This record gives sequence, C-alpha cells and structure tokens, in this order.
Amino acid sequence: MRPSRRDFVKLMMASGIAVAVTPMARADAPSFASRETLPGRGVARPRLGRVDGVAKVTGAKLYASDFRAADMPGWPSETAHALFVRSPDASHIYEGIDLDRLSLIAKPTVVVTAEDVARIGARVPEFYAGDLFCPVGKTPFFLGQPLALLIFASFDDFDRVRVALRDGNYLKFGAETGPTEGPNYGAFRFTRVAGPTPDGPDLYSPIQEGWVSPGFFESTGRPIWKPLPVAKGGEYVKGATFGDAIRAELDAPDPETLVIQQDFETQSIDPVFLEPECGLAWYDPAKRNLELVLGVQSPFEAASAIAFLLGEADADHKPATINAQFAYVGGGFGGKDHTPFSLYIALAGLFLPGRPVRLAHDRFQQFQGGVKRHAFKMHSEIGVDRKSGLITGFAADHVLDGGGMANYSASVAVVGATGALGIYSIPKVDVTTVALHSRGVTAGSMRGYGTLQTMTAIEVLVDEVCAALPLDPIEFRRRNALATGGRTMTGNPYSVSVRTPEILAKLEAHPIWRDRAMEKAAAKPGFLVGTGVAVCTKDYGTGADCSLGRVEIDAEGRVSVHGDAVEMGNGIGTAIANRVAAHLGVVADRVGVSEIDAFDALGLFTSGDAYSTTQAAQDEAAKNPRWVPAISSATSASIGAHVGTQAAAEAARVLFRFGLWPAALAIWGIPQNDPRAKQWDEAFWQDGMLLMSGLSPLPLKAIAAKAHAMNGITGTMAHAFSRWAWAQATFTVGGEDVTADIDALAIRRGDGDFEPIERSAVAFPPADYNRIGTAFTSLCGTLVRIEIERATGIVRIAKAYSVLECGEALVPEVVRGQAQGGFAMGVGYALLETLPPFEDGPGNGQWNLGQYRLARASDLPVNDLEVEILPPLSPKEPPKGMAEVVMIPVVPGLLNAIFDATGHRFAALPVTAAHIKGVLA
Amino acid sequence: MTTLSLSVNGRALGPFEVRDDLTMNDFLREELGMTGTKFGCGAAQCLSCAVIVDMPDGSSHTNPTCVVPAVNFDGKAIRTIEGHAKDGVLTALQTAFIEHFSFQCGYCTPGFLNESQVLLERLEKTPVPRATLETVIAEALDGHLCRCTGYVKYHEAVRAVILAGADRYLI
Repeated sequence: MRPSRRDFVKLMMASGIAVAVTPMARADAPSFASRETLPGRGVARPRLGRVDGVAKVTGAKLYASDFRAADMPGWPSETAHALFVRSPDASHIYEGIDLDRLSLIAKPTVVVTAEDVARIGARVPEFYAGDLFCPVGKTPFFLGQPLALLIFASFDDFDRVRVALRDGNYLKFGAETGPTEGPNYGAFRFTRVAGPTPDGPDLYSPIQEGWVSPGFFESTGRPIWKPLPVAKGGEYVKGATFGDAIRAELDAPDPETLVIQQDFETQSIDPVFLEPECGLAWYDPAKRNLELVLGVQSPFEAASAIAFLLGEADADHKPATINAQFAYVGGGFGGKDHTPFSLYIALAGLFLPGRPVRLAHDRFQQFQGGVKRHAFKMHSEIGVDRKSGLITGFAADHVLDGGGMANYSASVAVVGATGALGIYSIPKVDVTTVALHSRGVTAGSMRGYGTLQTMTAIEVLVDEVCAALPLDPIEFRRRNALATGGRTMTGNPYSVSVRTPEILAKLEAHPIWRDRAMEKAAAKPGFLVGTGVAVCTKDYGTGADCSLGRVEIDAEGRVSVHGDAVEMGNGIGTAIANRVAAHLGVVADRVGVSEIDAFDALGLFTSGDAYSTTQAAQDEAAKNPRWVPAISSATSASIGAHVGTQAAAEAARVLFRFGLWPAALAIWGIPQNDPRAKQWDEAFWQDGMLLMSGLSPLPLKAIAAKAHAMNGITGTMAHAFSRWAWAQATFTVGGEDVTADIDALAIRRGDGDFEPIERSAVAFPPADYNRIGTAFTSLCGTLVRIEIERATGIVRIAKAYSVLECGEALVPEVVRGQAQGGFAMGVGYALLETLPPFEDGPGNGQWNLGQYRLARASDLPVNDLEVEILPPLSPKEPPKGMAEVVMIPVVPGLLNAIFDATGHRFAALPVTAAHIKGVLA
Repeated sequence: MTTLSLSVNGRALGPFEVRDDLTMNDFLREELGMTGTKFGCGAAQCLSCAVIVDMPDGSSHTNPTCVVPAVNFDGKAIRTIEGHAKDGVLTALQTAFIEHFSFQCGYCTPGFLNESQVLLERLEKTPVPRATLETVIAEALDGHLCRCTGYVKYHEAVRAVILAGADRYLI
C-alpha cells in the first residue's frame, strides 16, 4: 500500500513528541488533504492558468482563515475563539488586565498569561528567545508584545471583547521605567581588498579569513568598530585594519578621485499580506493529540518549534503527538516565515483542552504584532576615478532597527551588507552593520530584505556620482559592472550567469531612456518630467535550502506531484507541475504543496546546524546514508523556482529514465543491448506523445500502463540540499548508477510501497561555503518616467519598463506577474508606505489600511508597465529566483527620476507628495 | 438581537437571530461558513470582503461587508464568489481571471471578481465607447487592494472579456 496522507506518517520525534500530519478522515466531508491538493481529478479547468486557479475563483476553502472546526473531518463541530492581547506601552510596568471590568462585556473561558506558560513548563525556541507573554510586574520589552490570550467559547463574546479592547482602556500600567534596553542582534564587518590583478588572490576577503564581528560594545549595545590593541578578537583586528585603511583613503582623496558621501534612511513598513495570520488548534486530552491548521511559509520550522515549546511541559500539556496541517497562504512576502504566531495557536489549543480554538489577527492586531521590514540608517562614501569613471573604493555603516525580538535581524544585517555593492565591482570595500534591539514592533523577514534598503542607497548614490562626474548613468554602470567570474564583496564569484551588459543594453535602447530629454523638455505647464534608471542584482537562496519532491504516475498516465514548498501566491504548485511535465510529457492533475509528511519513505535524519557546521562534523554525519544537512526549509517566492521545484524535477527525471523509458523500450520491442536503449536523451514529448526518431510515437497512457504491468518504477521521491551548490549523490537503480543533484531517493514499483535507495556516494557542498555571502543571483533593471504636479507634489508614473533575467522561466506569466507585483510594492515603498517608530507606530494597536497607504492601481502605470524577460542563456540554464530582484530597482529608479525632475535628491523614504511639494515651494 | 432574512446566491435564507453589531462579514464566514468572502482589513479599505447587492430596480453594486452590520442586509439579495459558477461551469470572467494569471495568492480575488461582474452587468445596460474602456475599468476596480500582482493582469482579464463581447459592452 502506498503512503497516503490518511496514514499516520511519523515525521520526526521532537522532545518525545511525534510530529506528524494525519488528517482524520470522515466519510461525509472532503479531507483537508484533498481540499489542499489541486486541481483535483475530475475538476474542469481552463486550458491555461495556475493549478489552483479554479479553487481561487470559486471561493473554495483553501486558506488557513477559511477553516473552522466544523470543516475539519473528525473534529468537534464547535469553534472557540482566542483573542490576542498585546501591549501598546513599552515604558511602564505592566500590571495586568482589568478583567473585572472586561467581564461586564463578556467573561473569557480561559485566560493564558506568562504565569500560565511558566507553570506548565513551556520552553521558548531559541529563534524566538524572550518572554512569550510579558509577566505582570515587568515593563513590556517592546510595543506589541503579547500580554495574554483570552479564550471565549462563543464568537459573539470574543468579537465584543475584541472591539472593546481596541477602543477602551482595559490594560493596567504602573510606574514609568522608560524602555528596556537589550543587546544588539548582530554586528558584522565585511572588508575586501582586491589583489593587484583581477585574477590574483585578494589581499583580504571574508571568504579567506571568515566573517568577523567586533569584540567590544558600548553599553547601548552599539559596537566599537575601531580595532582595539587587545588580544581578544584577533581576526577582527586584521579585517578592521584593512577597513580603516580604505576609509582613510576615502577621507583624504587625491585630486583625481571624486568622493561623495551619502546619508540615507529607509522606513519601517508592514508586509500587508491580505490574509492576516490565523490558525486552528484542537487538543484532545484523551489521546494527548494536538491537531493544528496553520498557514505559514515555514511549515517544518513551525511544527518543530511547537514541539520544542511543549517538549518539557507538564503531563497535562505535553501532547504525545502533534498533527500539523498546512493550508494555502494568502500572501506572505516573508512575513509568515518564522513567525511566532504558530506558538500561540498551539498554546490556545492546549489551554482549552477538548475544544477546537481559533486564533486570528484582525488587521489592527496584524499591524500591532506582525513582523515588519527593518528601518535602516546608512552612511556611505564612494570613491571614483574621475578620468576612467571607475569606482576605487566604498565604505558604509548600516544601523538597523530590529525591534523587540531578534527574529531574522542578524541575517537581514548580513544580507544588506553583503548586497551593498549592488551590481558593481569595487576593489576596496569596507561595510559595517549592526542590528539593534528597540522597543519597536519586531522586524523580520520581508521580500528583498536588507538589499532593498542598501541597493536603493547605492543606486541613488551612483546617480549622484554620474551627475557629478558627469557620465551617462548607463555608461557608468557598464564600466563598473561586476563581470562574470568577478568577485563579490565576500571574495567569491557568483556561480551563475551575470548578464548585466545585456540588461544595460536593453535599458539604453528603450524609448523611455532614449527620449528622456525630449520628454522633459515637453513637460506640460505646471508639471515636471523626470526619468530614472536603476539596475540591481539580488541573491536567491539562503545557503541551506532544501527541497522535497514526490512524483507518481498511475496506470492511466495521470501524474501526481507532491512538494514541501508553500503556495503563497508565487505559483510554486504550477511551477513544480510544469517542471515535472518537461520530463513526463503531461501537466500533473494533482499537485500537493506544503506537504512535509509525504516523504517518510526517505527516512531522512539530520543533526547539527547546516549554516554553521564544520567540515569534519559534516563528513562524520554524512557516513549515515540517511543523513542530510537539513530536511525542509522555509519557502520564499524568490527561491521558489530554483529550490522548490528541484527535488520534484530530479525525481521526475529518474522516473522517466528508469520507469517510463524501459516501458517505452518494451513497447517498441527494443532490447537492452540495442544501442538505442541508451538514447533516452534523444526522446522528447510532444502533445502527450513520446517521440523518438524512427520509432512510432507512444502515448503516455500506454507507457504508464506498460510500466505498471511490468511492475516497473512508477513513483519516485527525492530530497535536495543546496549550500550555494546542490548536494550530489549516486544511486543504483535498476542495476545502473545514476548521479543526480539530490541526496536522497526512494522509488515505488507498480502499486507497491516506496522503498529508499541507499546512496553509494554523496558530495555535500563544503562547509566553508557558509562564508559565501551570495553565489546565486539574478538581475533586473528598471526605467521609470514620471510627471510631478508642481502645485501638489503628486507623482504620476507615466511609463515604466523592467527587464530581468531568471534563467528558464518555468511559468512565464507567473514571472511577469511577480515583476508587476514587485513594481507595485516598490512604488509603495518609495512613495507611500511608512510606519512611525514606537508609540505612534503600529505597536499602539490603532493602525489599519487607510491610515497606511498601499499602492492602488491608480498609483501605477497599469497600462504602461512593460516587462521583458530575457530568454535563458541556453535551453538548459536552470531557473533562477526572481521575485525579490524585480522589486528593488523600482525604488531607486523612482528616486533618480524625482531628482531628474526636481533637482532635489531625497535622502529618506518614502518620498511623499508633501515632501516633494515642500522642496518645490 | 435582530431578525435577519436574506437571499444569498439566489437562495432564501433565514430568519436568523443575529447580534445587532455582528458584521455581515462575520455573519457570512462564522454563521454561514461561507468563507469565499474574505476578511482583509475590517476597515472597508481593501474590499476583499465586497459582495454584490442586487437591488429591486434591477441594478447591482458591490458593498463591503467587514464594517457593515449583517442586519443592514435584511431583505436584500446578495451574490458572493461561491455563486458565480453555475453547475460547475465557470463564468467568462472567472475563466479570464485564470487564463490571464490575474491573481497570485488569490485572497483579493473575490472582491475583484464581484466588482468586475458588476461592471460587466452595468456595461451591458449602458455600453461605453472603446476609447474610454481602460479608464472605465480603472475607475471600477480602483477601490480594491491587491498586494501581489500590481493589478495589471486583473485589468487585462476584464478588458479581454469586454472586448470579446464588444457588441454587448461597447458602443
């Protein structure tokens, strides 16, 4: 019997808790799994479009917010509702909730506080270190910190108290303490000094020497960047000495060198995924089973974190099993990756045992408690040789506001710093970065994190350089662009194509750029016209990315595909189906995503931290043939195509080669010793038929039937791991060795069970690849022409053009849509969106849309936005992540256009109509 | 508590006893279990919660549900995203949304679908010149927020449906 989601599939043991996915089927209702496996057999759908298209235009229950207990087969039918209470104050001692007065509206069935989670022995996972709830008697560590969960048996009671809490004063605060200080979340210095020739070794680089952090900090948590003459932190002193020398040169330039300094600030914003965070929990104390419905970008992490949370809880609150089910995500943009929200869903369920409980943010609460984009303050200086126009040196200092909890702050700081050079090749670089704690709402992952901020800064700075030299902005970029094989800031080259010259040529030839002077001169009375350009390159991948994929074909030739990646609008389900179709000749009619339970047959085992392991530890661990550096990782749109489809694509390749191809040979009557038996690479699919020169075309259905009849391979599942290169392993299948970019493989014959294939050799990417800043990158350039109304300062984007490269575009219309959406998000970030820090900001619980301005269609050139996708360099160039890079150049492009129109260079985001009106007055 | 009866997607429902300040959005999602209508902001700003209200005079318009009490819909006829397809056959608009890859996460789709359907029905009664079509679409859809798509493919899909039925929708 093949594994199915209705079987109990043990995913892992964590803290003595079996974490699994096990929908409890009920005959009269579709199971959660079948709802979430799209499009589903027998569902009519248009010829084109996404696999989830029909479900999304018919209002099918799909998202976590769509499910209540009554929708879950086997659950009790009534849903209780939990209300998040968060603090709008981080300067006074918290003294509790006025429950007596609140109970006049409705009395909660259960109140969960800091004391309760301490009493049951809950543990906080390291990533979320800190108090889950602020205890009475303490000053909240940050605005929006959870204070309590109030759980109500009825929706009406919940709803009335929800409104009362927002509008009334039911939280008690005492003496003023001022905000609580906390240590910084990470401080790093990236310094590189190139050797005298491009091919020679660097004099100093992070890849050679390791990443360094300062050893000393002020009492405020700020690092002391100067190298101190003490023994501690010797590696830091070496790097900092090189760095200080670069700064000394920039501070005392020779006459031939132009040096420009820049101060630039970016704001905090909210991801504003349209589906606020939510979920369901039901703890059955008799079975000690915790059922969950979650909607996150990181399902494996969420399940693991909940298991850790409860791993040492007392007997009444420690489940024996956790069954986590993951729904489609109504927007994520990073904000549903490693969110602590899932922990509170689990707690809500445990504290009202026997009753399903729903925890859901409204939009006010989502603003108050959801992770934000980091605000940056940056000081940069750049040196350029006036004669050649070549950049000679760059130094920058970044300070990030990480808000109240660490979350991804250290990573954002690193990614921002290592991306600070954008597309440029610069021989001497020194960048410091520190992410600070503040009492603001926690900042975390959001689309393009770190680089959106720092690449905006350098693209605006470069525009200033071009005006000062003067030199045409595209020509300047052409001269300074990092070439293929050139070294990035960390000292390693990109391992993928770098197509900056093509992007620049496209931009240069485009009418928006070509006609910019004419259009400016032809501005209507009362209007200013400006044109801006920017080009960015953005890494994709995190340095420890995983992919799980399972592909099966039945005797009718119908293909089903399962993956662990999360569908959050990025089209990953459609992309997986298309990538598999390239090998199997047909688009799957069943595509399951967010399925971390479907791969038990691989028997994967992991240990250690893939990001920080040593080579010796990795070599030792790899002796276990089931060991992999990590099992499943979070989904982001940018790595979706590259990572999320990898395992399924490789599984499909193996399925074709060792399952369908032998069946086709059997139908054709070609024996194994015939030379044509080895020519599977020359066969290809067309309209569901397998074609091979000189042989009769074979329909997939016939091949599949034959494969089943022969008890051949009809299903494959695989795991893939990438640390800036895919792990590669060799397996023996059907008596032959096959080497693939996967590290675990299982196969199914006929209708049998999946059986693992032991790998005979494996090569994991070296551990010191962890020193690489980025190795995978894709490029996008953007042109914008704007009109500014002098009287109001209102910017109208008249025309825009984005050109990008992403290798093979698996679903070109999804890629185009991501570029269009990225453009809109860029416009919002550049011109509209902002959240004030601290008490006036979202932590006060009073923010909602309306006050917070997103880009509407009327803010965008909906009918004049041109997107061009460069064809892949070769037919076999793999897909590259592109969903982040498409947003970034939009922002500096707009700022450069505003400068072109007004002659004023703004140094902080957003640039609102009021700001522009102010400088035009 | 107030008594509420209404028609949803052509089915007469009620009477229900509902709390006076229960929103229509919560009535649909929590009481009826009809979660096709989404909750996005609770402030009538994103309009992912918008439904179609059919008036006795034959006209239709969209209405947000997240800030409007359910009792305001007493005696009214509404349509939601669950009611567009008939017997499993998608409307031209639904098909166009899919074929044009109009949505990504899809959470805003119910509002866009309802608004676009109302536009089609309005144009059928009052056609507009081709030259104004892009403006007409932009004005009709501008109240709706989408965070994923940049709106382009929604507009393309609606335009495609109108142009395919130019004799019905355009002068």
